[in-house]
Amino acid sequence: MTANELSSRLTMRGIEVEAIEEIRPSFDGVVAAEVISVDVHPLLTNLYVCMVDTGKEVYKVVCGAKNVSPNRIVALAIKGARLADGTMIDKREIGGVTSEGMLCSERELGLTDDHSGIFILPEEIKKGTLLNAVEPFNDHVLDINVPPNRGDCLSIYGIAREVGSIVGERPTIPSFEEEVQDMEIDRLIDLNVIDEEACPRYVLRMLKGVTICPSPYLIRERLIKCGMRPINSIVDVTNYVMLEFGQPLHAFDYHRLEGRRIEVRLASSEIRFRTLDGVDRVIAGNDLLICDGNGPVAVAGIMGGENSEITEKTRDVALESAYFNPLFIRKTARRLGIRSEASLRFEKGIDIERVDIAARRAIELMKAISGGTIVKGKKEIWKKREPKRIFVSYNKINTILGVAIDPEDAVNALNSIDIEVEKEQEDGLSCSVPLFRHDIEEYIDLIEEIARIYGFEHIYPTTPSSTAITSKRAKNIRFYTTLKEYFKAAGFFEAINFAFLSQQDLDNLRIASSHPLASSVAIINPISKDYGLMRTLIAASVLKNIAYNLNRGQKNLRIYETGKVFIAKDKGVIEYPSVFFAMTGKEREYFWKGPVPEYDFFDIKGILEGLFASFNIGFSLKRDEIPFLNNSSSAEVIVNDKGIGWIGEVREDVLRLYGIEQKVYCAEIRFDIMMEMGVMVPKYRPIPRYPQVIRDFSFYIDDDIPISTVIDRIKKVSPLIVDVGVFDMFKREKRSVSFRVVFQSFEDTLKDETINALQDIIIRELTGIKGIKLRT
Amino acid sequence: MDIEEIRKKVEEGLASIKGYEDLERVRATLTGRKGIISEAIDRIKTLDKDKRREYGREINAIKERVEAKLRELKAFYEDERRRAEEGVSKIDITMPGKTPIMGKRHPITQTLDEMVDIFSFLGFTVAEGPEIESEYYNFEALNIPKDHPARDMQDTFYIKDGLVLRTHTSPVQIRVMESMLPPIKIIAPGRVYRCDSDVSHTPMFHQVEGLVVDKHIRFSDLKGIITIFVHEIFDEGTPLRFRPSYFPFTEPSAEVDIGCVICNGKGCRVCKDTGWLEIIGSGMVHPQVFRNVGYNPEEVTGFAFGVGVERIAMIKFGIDDIRQFYYNDIRFLSQF
Repeated sequence: MTANELSSRLTMRGIEVEAIEEIRPSFDGVVAAEVISVDVHPLLTNLYVCMVDTGKEVYKVVCGAKNVSPNRIVALAIKGARLADGTMIDKREIGGVTSEGMLCSERELGLTDDHSGIFILPEEIKKGTLLNAVEPFNDHVLDINVPPNRGDCLSIYGIAREVGSIVGERPTIPSFEEEVQDMEIDRLIDLNVIDEEACPRYVLRMLKGVTICPSPYLIRERLIKCGMRPINSIVDVTNYVMLEFGQPLHAFDYHRLEGRRIEVRLASSEIRFRTLDGVDRVIAGNDLLICDGNGPVAVAGIMGGENSEITEKTRDVALESAYFNPLFIRKTARRLGIRSEASLRFEKGIDIERVDIAARRAIELMKAISGGTIVKGKKEIWKKREPKRIFVSYNKINTILGVAIDPEDAVNALNSIDIEVEKEQEDGLSCSVPLFRHDIEEYIDLIEEIARIYGFEHIYPTTPSSTAITSKRAKNIRFYTTLKEYFKAAGFFEAINFAFLSQQDLDNLRIASSHPLASSVAIINPISKDYGLMRTLIAASVLKNIAYNLNRGQKNLRIYETGKVFIAKDKGVIEYPSVFFAMTGKEREYFWKGPVPEYDFFDIKGILEGLFASFNIGFSLKRDEIPFLNNSSSAEVIVNDKGIGWIGEVREDVLRLYGIEQKVYCAEIRFDIMMEMGVMVPKYRPIPRYPQVIRDFSFYIDDDIPISTVIDRIKKVSPLIVDVGVFDMFKREKRSVSFRVVFQSFEDTLKDETINALQDIIIRELTGIKGIKLRT
Repeated sequence: MDIEEIRKKVEEGLASIKGYEDLERVRATLTGRKGIISEAIDRIKTLDKDKRREYGREINAIKERVEAKLRELKAFYEDERRRAEEGVSKIDITMPGKTPIMGKRHPITQTLDEMVDIFSFLGFTVAEGPEIESEYYNFEALNIPKDHPARDMQDTFYIKDGLVLRTHTSPVQIRVMESMLPPIKIIAPGRVYRCDSDVSHTPMFHQVEGLVVDKHIRFSDLKGIITIFVHEIFDEGTPLRFRPSYFPFTEPSAEVDIGCVICNGKGCRVCKDTGWLEIIGSGMVHPQVFRNVGYNPEEVTGFAFGVGVERIAMIKFGIDDIRQFYYNDIRFLSQF
């Protein structure tokens, strides 16, 4: 099976291969060769003259490495070969001896940084092999995204179990010799587990008389491919076996354990403890600790202590293999902010049955690499648990999945991943779930396993025969559709910003801490200081959009945004939708027919008028001070005597803080209230059958009389007045305002006398007000 | 004047019209009150009775011809004059026109609305929920207990007192199920938040959640609904696959991939050489979720799904950096 095939089949099993990394050698033409003889160079005594055999031919090579010795298989680069750094190899004279090639170090082959000697090849590679084409130099690494519930797949063995299920085989584990009953270890160390709930299984094994050295290449390179750093021959084995079986291991320097004892217990009070990464950690009560006679030597399942770690001087090793309760490990790891390879596995739950197998595997591997003798026996505490027994009915399987699965297929599927079907009953399967499957708790979990192995692709799509007839359009959607259509037609671009705000924004907008808009909701872990608060208004976000666009040469902008804003109230939070719109610059940069005016207050007010008209809501403006608006025009938007928003021109000093150098007019309205008051289905009014009559009036009106009150006064004169507009306004000494009044009857054609009479009343009414005079 | 003579004079008169200004003069001499034809008509009564009829018919025919000809010439010369006048003020039609100022809806809104349309068509109702959500609705009720590794799947923004910014639209499922009995068929579109920011993540993004609960809802039904949706929002022939996955609140869970639209499944940077793009998380509602809202999982089953709106929009429009959606650059927004 190719790497690609394997990857896609694993992926379709729910073990998603995110990427396939191809490992290709950066050298070329390098061959495995056996060293036949090593002689000191006749002239240069720090060099050796070696004879090496590729099986086809024998070469003479000059070499300076101390570790070259007969019978070793080494990497030979002969004429035409290329090293990792691009160097081409040729014959050359060294002190009168012709060297036909060179023996390479790991660094010269681009494998590791090691240049301490020549690369002694793994035993598996036979002489004569062209190294380019073989593992581990030519390889694939599968980057697997293991689902959070599948801790059992965080190991080579776990993945092999899934692969075995795909290809119909079972993975094997190394077998060990029968254990002798002599408990030599009892004389060397004591073990005491005080909290068995936190640590239901703990195994100690020992190895005496080791020599710490670098690990063999195969171990180092596999660790590197898995993203780990080789350290020494003991620590590397603990990591290597963890990758193999998913069992985190920890090795202590036996002689650094005070009182020759290990105690597993919960910390009773806060203490300081230095972990092997050199960081002082504060251990809190209820963190699980591994202690010696003196105090802590490791934070259980997370990280060992500096005080007992393996060093170059270590002679005797005590190896811990344990099962720690995931909840304890998770809590401590989160609090300490440590996510180690070990804690990752303990948190998700490991295989309690294999704790000792991993320990034995590791001890034997350590012995093979670092030498020494294995201490007979083990120390162990194990609070055994029974496997879970779960029944799943055929009926459930078939009705949940929508496909009839043959019971035999279901049994095979479960067996292939080590879930034992204890009994096939008339109506379903009684299963025994191995303890490493922490994710399987009830029937639905078994159905998922069956479906996963049966293959989702074999379940054919159907449509639900549901009787659900709840379908009804949400009222809100209609309001939003109207809103978005209105702004699109009004020439506004819709913006969407993150619903965040910073204290800086509140300061920029001059919103004092006592202002309702300052009553914001803080995020405990914001992504940055700029996004520390939930926004209480949209304005700040869009002002930044305006600055962003102005900086990119876009000078004429109409932007709106709608979204929720969040206000802290009492102990809770109120969130409601808001709509904000802003205009800056002018309608267009230029038009050749004539000048294009800059936007002013009446442009934004017009947009507001159109918006309210779209929802058939009446509103008025009331002068009000808004912290960030220019006082000359800032106003509250009033509907039914209630303020539901504001409108105006942004203060120049505020704009400057955002780097904006042109005027910005804007408004923000509570959209929830608009939705409450909006009338989406207007009532029809008959089209008048009689002609309308138009009369114009001009008055001098003092500045302190709001024009809206004058318009209201005119409208009140008669129900025949259907519209009053302002068609001219200019100011010399006094303000002159011209009104166009439309008269309309729905019953008959209006007579001149009627209009004239109304005209007289209008003039009389207005001129009766102090500060208004008729212009003639 | 006999008929022939009149006819000759008439033809001479008409032939003498060389322009608009001649029209009135000629009309007066022919059909005017004292014109040739009027005089000829006046003479009818002086003729013998037997000749009158014949003569009258001839004169009338001539009169009609003259009137028709004059109308024709008048129209011709008027048209000629109009064209001459308009020619003087002819405009350069190649000058730029006045384009209306048009707004645009954000591409996310456009995509979201299209998704809502499709699901509405399939009979789903729109439901809503708060963006600041309790940990209970966002996690516990969805079978994500405290201190469970699944909490790490989503980087959560925390607010005081057990409140979070919702990390998905799934809490709306719970709110809907708590408020009504099955059958249920809803979607919940909305904004969600995760503490993450790079080329493919923004701290706020949009999702559409779907939930169907009834008797006899099957995994195959989930496949059916999702397949229809994918074929509506993309092309009819878009390949898709359902791949086992893990979500705490669904089981079995499936990730839905579509064939990469950039490389047509051959493998490229966008699909990380897999030929597939992940677009939807889905699955059968976990029995524990039903128990949490007081439903009996022995009586009802259901499926749920969540679609990332940005993801769909990126694929549809070919956008390769999710952050583009949130700069609100007019040059970007105006493209959609």
